[in-house]
Amino acid sequence: MSSLKHLQVEATKSSPAIDFNPETHNLSLRGESYPENCSRFYAPVFDWLREYLSVSQNQPMTLEMEIVYFNSSSSKTFMDLFDMLDAAAQAGKSVCVRWRYDEENETALECGEEFQEDVQHINFELVSVAA
Amino acid sequence: MDVNMLSYHETMSREGVVLYYNGPISQGVVEGVGDMMRRKMVLEENGMLLAQKVFSVLVEQMQNVICYARDICTPTACMGTGQIMVGRSGEQFYVACGNPVSRKREDRIRERIDTVNGMTREELKAYYKEQRRKGPDEDSCGAGLGFIEMARKASRPLQYRFDPIDDDTSFFAVKVHV
Repeated sequence: MSSLKHLQVEATKSSPAIDFNPETHNLSLRGESYPENCSRFYAPVFDWLREYLSVSQNQPMTLEMEIVYFNSSSSKTFMDLFDMLDAAAQAGKSVCVRWRYDEENETALECGEEFQEDVQHINFELVSVAA
Repeated sequence: MDVNMLSYHETMSREGVVLYYNGPISQGVVEGVGDMMRRKMVLEENGMLLAQKVFSVLVEQMQNVICYARDICTPTACMGTGQIMVGRSGEQFYVACGNPVSRKREDRIRERIDTVNGMTREELKAYYKEQRRKGPDEDSCGAGLGFIEMARKASRPLQYRFDPIDDDTSFFAVKVHV
C-alpha cells in the first residue's frame, strides 16, 4: 500500500519511542513525553497519520500508548491525536487505543481516564501493566 | 577562597531545601534535574505519586522559565535564566521557581494564576479539559495549560509575587505546595 514508510524513532530522555507500522496497522508511543518543542517533535507523527488514514481505508488499527509521564503541551498534542483518530472512527474505521499504565502509577491511570472520557468513537482501553 | 559555600549549604539545609539551582536553564537541565529529583524521591520511598507530582511541577516550571525568559534562542534550542527550588517540611514538599519576566506579561500571569486558585478540583479538571481542546493564547509558547496542571497537583493555592527590577522587567516567583 502506497509509499508510506514504517515510522520508527528512538526514545530520548524526554521523548517517546515511536513505532508506526503501516503493514501491521500497529502504532505505538512508549516512554516519556516532555520535549522542548512539542509541536515540532510531533509534526512528523501527524503528517504520517494523516497520510496513513487517507490510504489505509477501513482496515482496523491499534495505537498503543505507554507513557510514563507527559507534560501539559504533550497533553494537548495527544488530545489532538485522539481527536483525529476519533474522526476516523466516526467515519467508520475501527480504531483501538490501548492506554497502558504502570499499576503503581495512579497519575498515568487518571490521565488515561480523562482521555477516555473525551473521545466518543474510538475503542479506548485502559490496560494495567505490572510494575 | 572568599565564597562561603558552607554558609549557603547550612542556610539551605536549615530551611529544608532539598534542591536549589540558579542559572541558565535549557532542556538538558530540565531532563537532568527533573529526573534526578524524581529518582531521589523514589529511592527515599516518598511514594511514586508524590515523586511524579514534584517531577511534573518541576518540569512545567522549568519549561516556563525557558519559554518566557528566552535569554538565548537558536532555531533548535532556547535557554532562560532562573532559579528552581524544591523544599521539604516533614512529609510536605514544595516546588518554587523564579525568573525575570517582561512587565507587560504581569497582568496576564496574575489573571491565569488567580483563575486557577479560585477553582475546586472538579472545576480545575473541567477547565483543563476545556483549555486542552482550545488553541493556546497568543502569548503562550506551550499549550497554555501549565498553571492549571500545577494547580491540579497542588495541595494549596499557588503563591506568587512580582518584584519590579526596572521599567521593563519584574522578577516573578511562584511556589507550589504538592
